[in-house]
Amino acid sequence: MNTNSMNPKVDRRDGKLTMAHFYVAFIALAIGGLAGLLQTLVRSGKFQLPTWTGYYQILTLHGVVLGLVLTTFFIMGFQLALVSKTSGTFTRKQRLTGWIGFWTMTIGTIMTAIMILTNQASVLYTFYAPLQAHALFYLGLTLVIIGSWIDGAAIIMAYTSWRKANPGKPSPLLTFMSLVNTLMWIVATIGVAATVLFQLLPWSLGLVDRVDVLVSRTLFWYFGHPLVYFWLLPAYMAWYAIVPKIIGGKIFSDSLARMSFILFLLFSIPVGFHHQLMEPGIDPAWKFLQVILTFLVVIPSLMTAFSLFATFEMYGRSKGSTGLFGWVKKLPWGDARFAVPFIGMLAFIPAGAGGIINASNQLNQVVHNTIWVTGHFHLTLATSVVLTFFGISYWLVPHLTGRVLTKAMNKLAIIQGVVWAIGMTFMSGAMHAAGLLGAPRRSSFSTYGGSEQAAEWIPYQIAQAVGGTILFLGIILMLYIFVNLAFFAPKGEEEFPVGEVADQAEKTPMVFENWKLWLGITVLLILFAYTIPFIDMIQNAPIGSKGYKFF
Amino acid sequence: MAQPEIGKKTHTKVEDQPSLKGTLASVFLLGFFLIVTWLGVFFLFVDRF
Ligand code: HEM
Ligand SMILES: [Cu+2]
Repeated sequence: MNTNSMNPKVDRRDGKLTMAHFYVAFIALAIGGLAGLLQTLVRSGKFQLPTWTGYYQILTLHGVVLGLVLTTFFIMGFQLALVSKTSGTFTRKQRLTGWIGFWTMTIGTIMTAIMILTNQASVLYTFYAPLQAHALFYLGLTLVIIGSWIDGAAIIMAYTSWRKANPGKPSPLLTFMSLVNTLMWIVATIGVAATVLFQLLPWSLGLVDRVDVLVSRTLFWYFGHPLVYFWLLPAYMAWYAIVPKIIGGKIFSDSLARMSFILFLLFSIPVGFHHQLMEPGIDPAWKFLQVILTFLVVIPSLMTAFSLFATFEMYGRSKGSTGLFGWVKKLPWGDARFAVPFIGMLAFIPAGAGGIINASNQLNQVVHNTIWVTGHFHLTLATSVVLTFFGISYWLVPHLTGRVLTKAMNKLAIIQGVVWAIGMTFMSGAMHAAGLLGAPRRSSFSTYGGSEQAAEWIPYQIAQAVGGTILFLGIILMLYIFVNLAFFAPKGEEEFPVGEVADQAEKTPMVFENWKLWLGITVLLILFAYTIPFIDMIQNAPIGSKGYKFF
Repeated sequence: MAQPEIGKKTHTKVEDQPSLKGTLASVFLLGFFLIVTWLGVFFLFVDRF
């Protein structure tokens, strides 16, 4: 890895920018966590919400605040810190760009939150038409996206100036990864921006009467799948390039890491139909094509698994471990910066298995729109990704605030990870099981008129409430640790771990920095996967739907 | 920055590659788990539809 531009410490001014993002992210965690707890309690059938609110309002809050706000703010803040650390302190112009991005996102978030809290936008975080929210809800989300583009511009500017200053050299790995994720995000959000600006906003303002539901859902899922990779890639950054340093090992291969990120850029976008497998109006041939492309994403995922196992084993063997799995014992289990993300990695095994099931056309018929799906993404997003983000916070927050993670906090952090794992085993396990028995997602408690099948789900719903309660405890622990690290922990220097590449690894080829090539292939794949289906949808469009407000 | 190492071969160390047997076993176990869960739901599908 290039060490010549690496900052020993993130500059204080850049640190403030990242921390601003993190404050919003952790406020979102507090609000969203409470909503999640309430949902599981309601679904258990033992608890009723007060009359001034309703299940779908709470669920919209939970989905928007955790799925969209927490993630986007944390990721942008984290990537800005990575770039400032590995490519050098931001220039004034770059930092100012970051702040404009932050405030744009924050204003958008406040607008959206007000609309949800005043019950004018209980349309869930996917805001599918023909459910219609107040125009300010869509406008607020638009600002969040525009703000994230401005944050992204700061990253692109910093990358460009690094390349100018270091001609002919591959960019620092973590800067490269942040850039790939930013580019993927920009290409992906064009889809959701298009449906919001050209369909949903004019329609909610009353400028047009009807909306084409299929086109809007397709544009949403053009964005929706890369969205999940936008969440996942920052966790991969930590797994590939930071965790090896924390355990005292080496990055298995710099080229392999870059290769897998490029594959995510190429194959994350032209695959949205795997969320629309049960939808009429899309030719099965195109669904088939996109499912094939989806399965190509399995390749970089398995490359990641291989690379992580190899990193751990090489480290363990260098410490003298023997036998097939002796290296497992050599890993630093007492270090929260490793142990908590590791729980996240473990969760990714059942999460990935579930994902392959979801994407298989026939199996999708078994699980589609059941609570299995919710169980699935509470493993991917709400465990793998979120626990890795927590693990990052345990060193990044004190690094940025000039404090240290004390022994006591480290211990509490490990407890936090374990509490989360236990809570999620209950909640997500029960969700998977109930889903296989047909229990629907996105639905409040109901006995469905005394149906026998619905009665089978109730014990699982109670298990979900038990898990949800334990998870909520985990959230309180996390917030306590965050506040400690941000404001109260003793002053000192906390390391910003950046991995080095193993000696045996091959030299990184420059082709990875050829953005004309990679973005070109990305666009070609998108055009290939979407052009004809879109023409079909528009040529055979129905008259469209009026808006519905059920809240 | 001075780069005294330039021109020096990087692959001169012939020390034996570390064994990655555990990694091989791990990815096989992982693959096995993926197949078993997939088949589980597949048989559920066959059963129901
Ligand atoms: C205390 C911890 C949590 C609990 C108890 C919880 C509980 C739930 C429940 C019960 C649902 C589904 C309800 C339904 O479909 O009717 C749900 C949905 C969801 N959760 Fe969580 N969750 C928690 C944490 C998280 C976290 C940390 C994230 C993301 C970072 C997250 C993201 C989501 C999303 C995106 C949805 C989908 C909302 C929708 O279908 O519209 N959750 N959660
Ligand atoms: Cu997807």
